[in-house]
Amino acid sequence: METIFAFVIAILVGVGVFMLLSRVIVRVVIGLSFISYGVNLAILTAGGLRQDSPPLLSEPAPYVDPLPQALILTAIVIGFATTALLLTVAIRAYQVAGHDDVAAFGDNLADDPSNPDGNQADSSHPSPDIPDTEAFEPAPGSNEMLLLRARSELRRTFQDTPLGTAQDQTDNQVQKENL
Amino acid sequence: MTVPDPIQLSWPLPGTESALPAAPVILALGTGLLLMLPLSRAARSALSIGVTLLMTVLSALLVWSTGDGTVLSHTMGAWAAPFGIVLVADRLSAWMSLLTSVSLLMTVLYSAAFPDRVREQYHLFALLQLLAAGVQLSFLTGDLFNLFVAFEVMLVASYALTVLGSTREQLREGFRYIVMNLVASALLVATCGMIYGLLGTLNMAHLAQRATELGPSHYVSAFSTLLLIVFASKSAQFPLGFWLPGTYPAVPVAVGAFFGAILTKVGIYALIRTFSTMFTQEPLIAQTTLLILGSATMLFGALGLVSQREWRRILSFAVVTSVGYMAFGLGIGTPEALDATLFYMTVSVLVTSAMFLLAGIAEKATGTSYITVRGMLEHRPLWAAAFMLGALTIAGLPPTGGFIAKFALVQAGFAASSPLTPLIYLGILSALLSSLIILYAMLNIWRGFFWGKAAKDKEVQLRPVSLRQQAPMLLAMFTVAATALAAGPLGGLTSRIAAQLADPQQYISGVLGDRPVQIPPAPTAEDPEAPDHPSSISPARRAPKAEEDHP
Repeated sequence: METIFAFVIAILVGVGVFMLLSRVIVRVVIGLSFISYGVNLAILTAGGLRQDSPPLLSEPAPYVDPLPQALILTAIVIGFATTALLLTVAIRAYQVAGHDDVAAFGDNLADDPSNPDGNQADSSHPSPDIPDTEAFEPAPGSNEMLLLRARSELRRTFQDTPLGTAQDQTDNQVQKENL
Repeated sequence: MTVPDPIQLSWPLPGTESALPAAPVILALGTGLLLMLPLSRAARSALSIGVTLLMTVLSALLVWSTGDGTVLSHTMGAWAAPFGIVLVADRLSAWMSLLTSVSLLMTVLYSAAFPDRVREQYHLFALLQLLAAGVQLSFLTGDLFNLFVAFEVMLVASYALTVLGSTREQLREGFRYIVMNLVASALLVATCGMIYGLLGTLNMAHLAQRATELGPSHYVSAFSTLLLIVFASKSAQFPLGFWLPGTYPAVPVAVGAFFGAILTKVGIYALIRTFSTMFTQEPLIAQTTLLILGSATMLFGALGLVSQREWRRILSFAVVTSVGYMAFGLGIGTPEALDATLFYMTVSVLVTSAMFLLAGIAEKATGTSYITVRGMLEHRPLWAAAFMLGALTIAGLPPTGGFIAKFALVQAGFAASSPLTPLIYLGILSALLSSLIILYAMLNIWRGFFWGKAAKDKEVQLRPVSLRQQAPMLLAMFTVAATALAAGPLGGLTSRIAAQLADPQQYISGVLGDRPVQIPPAPTAEDPEAPDHPSSISPARRAPKAEEDHP
């Protein structure tokens, strides 16, 4: 049985590594999941495979060692959390850059002169600008969120204008409205 | 079920059971959760600073209580030592815990002085405490699988901190960082499972005992090499460390200071623990690998230093170089070399933290992340003095602690008589060469930022940086200066740590006691459904662990 498991683990990890090498972010996430499945099976195998021997003291012996299962359970929980976090990062990247591709992160896109934030695929979730403020400001109210949305709309409108002006105009507008 | 003994809060000595090792972890974890409550900014920063001060006191108490060689251990949930999880503080763990608390203090003070609305709204302070909880747990745990859990707590907090703010650079570097670390973690958890399959335990002290009973074994060597790969990637050794120089400049300054100072050192700590405490049977394989990796890392980092023109990118490569030095020190393998490595690690933690904070206020004042500003010596002489201290420490010139550390490392390399002498000489050569290159890179910053006069048309408008905002940097620089001024006591401390590590029996008997481990009989009386049982619960080679409880 160990031999079969070894092959299954090899296939899972192999598939995982193959997907990990992809440029598409979601495939990378799926690849990592495959790797963690393979790893979980590896722990189970290393802890000893035995049939018809539940780790229950109410049953007669033999027992299988329950600890590897506890380890796997912990690993699954942690893997779930990290996968969720990675997917959140992927969604954020998609919103900021408009790609589901590692190229979304690429330095070449950062050079897009008309739009320092890249092409926003989802204008209802603009990426927050990090204010370089010395003084602490309260959290943005609904008005401010409206402004942020309006700004990304304006940015789309002015996308074809030459270097930097769209940004300046929107900034001025925001400042005026703030005043 | 037996009622666990009441947790002893009495003073640790002379018994070794003490709740003290759990204190920094629980404190940080609890504060992290507390900080997620909707508090005002003032309350959050005051709470963070207060708790971090308390954590520093607790860590100092740990260092003090372990100073005479006592190994404090705390059994979580009162499950006896090899079966449940233990938190252990020997001299090394306690010292690393103190370094963590001190770096966290600088980071929290700096974050409190520089408001950052968006990141604080998304729980910057809470994440910093959770990160510290993970780091403290990594240093203080005495269980291999719990080390993995601690790594994950630490890494999940660091992932969140890396991408917090969602700038494009952060997302790019954060994604690389997360994927790289997830792969390494998968390897770590697989290795844990296989080590359990081979040795039947995950308690570090018990692992050490069983590995010694087993004698030199190819399996143990293979698994310890797997651990070596994992920890080398966590500590950014050369072929596995490409994520580091991009990630650390992308995160906010204060967070970068903590990352640079502590996170790579967690990997180094785990390497020390693996090869000085757990698997001491065949040291040559690990030492060969570490010498080669260390030499390559030093040179890679040094060349990276020269290639960069931005403050924090330069400093990130300095972190890479320092990790190379530590790997080299571990590769030499003598107690003297370990002593020098620990001294170097102390200096490196403090100076990295200080230099990142200096970079932060320099960037804040000039409004650019580049070093090509010129003429800051006139405007900010204090910063120039602080930079010189930090630069000399990183480059390793007298009269700084960096010089003492590197001198001790090289001396230990020459003094070592091991079959790896050619590799050690190679390491010494690259250590000296990379020190020279680091000096050149530091002088580059000096020339670019402080020296000369700014061109008339490029006169920089300096933004004000208040004394409160400079204070964390000055405090950190003071600790850097202290490593030179108090080099004697510090050296004594690190050599005592190294002496304790040279004798793993102290750790083992501190955790397991002096009697051999008893496998308890199967429970009988309490469980009405299971009146009597054969004691076949434990196959000969595998001890059942009663329960794992994880944070």
